Amino acid sequence: MEEFHNGNEGSFNSDEADNIVKECIEGVVGADDYSQNLVNKWTAGIVERCLTQLVKQGKSYKYIVTCAVMQKTGAGLHTANSCFWDTAMDGSCTVRWENRTMYCVVSVFAVAIA
Amino acid sequence: MSELLKDKPQKREKKTVKVPTEASHGVRGKETTGRTKDSMSIVSSIDELGHHEDTRMVVTMENTYQTGPYKRFPVGAVTDILKDVLTNYLQEERYEVEWSQKMTKTICEVTRARVKDLMIPRYKVVVLVHIGQLTGQSMQISSRCLWDKSNDTFATYSFKNSSLFGMATVYGVYFE
Repeated sequence: MEEFHNGNEGSFNSDEADNIVKECIEGVVGADDYSQNLVNKWTAGIVERCLTQLVKQGKSYKYIVTCAVMQKTGAGLHTANSCFWDTAMDGSCTVRWENRTMYCVVSVFAVAIA
Repeated sequence: MSELLKDKPQKREKKTVKVPTEASHGVRGKETTGRTKDSMSIVSSIDELGHHEDTRMVVTMENTYQTGPYKRFPVGAVTDILKDVLTNYLQEERYEVEWSQKMTKTICEVTRARVKDLMIPRYKVVVLVHIGQLTGQSMQISSRCLWDKSNDTFATYSFKNSSLFGMATVYGVYFE
């Protein structure tokens, strides 16, 4: 097992992840309206796309990607997260996106390996 | 030599230091690998995964030769914790904006503290809580993870009453 000395590149870049996630959401859902039949496909598609794009960065992280899609009816939604990890190396990023008929909240958690 | 040994008391919080010593030296720390060798004499103690409040030191871990977790993530116990916490905090409550905001964060922190109390070594924990109002809308929550499926896992529980729903998920990720 090699040990490599991480300088500053050790930590998770949340801005980059933010951009990746936004592009994925727009690619999958874009200008569509909320549809009960399609929502399953959308969430799976968003999550899978995000994951593949994140992995393409080639960093040694395990990823957890969560996506919540909700129809716009004026109802409220609150989301919170709390993590027990190494703050120097691990990080998270949450993206809120909406269009005319729905809200989409995507959270990415990156946990370092070794 | 002695200067390296003097560094040891500094790790009142958690640090993993590779300290070569001449004399065989006991290993201290939460997870002792119990390696006290005479000839190579490398002492290592494993970091407890916690917050580094000072300057963030990215530490290099000494090899533990441990191929897998000794204690796995107890999905059943964690699901019970989630059920307990969600039911206690949300039963008989009505949805209100500010209250829900605070409650989501509170539930998150309480769950994290209780999972930490289980003292599962080498597991990092991520807790995610959603609280929403029930107004007949439709909602879908899904998640996907890129991890080691033999070691990493998750536990989830959802609760519903007449005016709100609450969903909590705990992911346990093994630190190799």
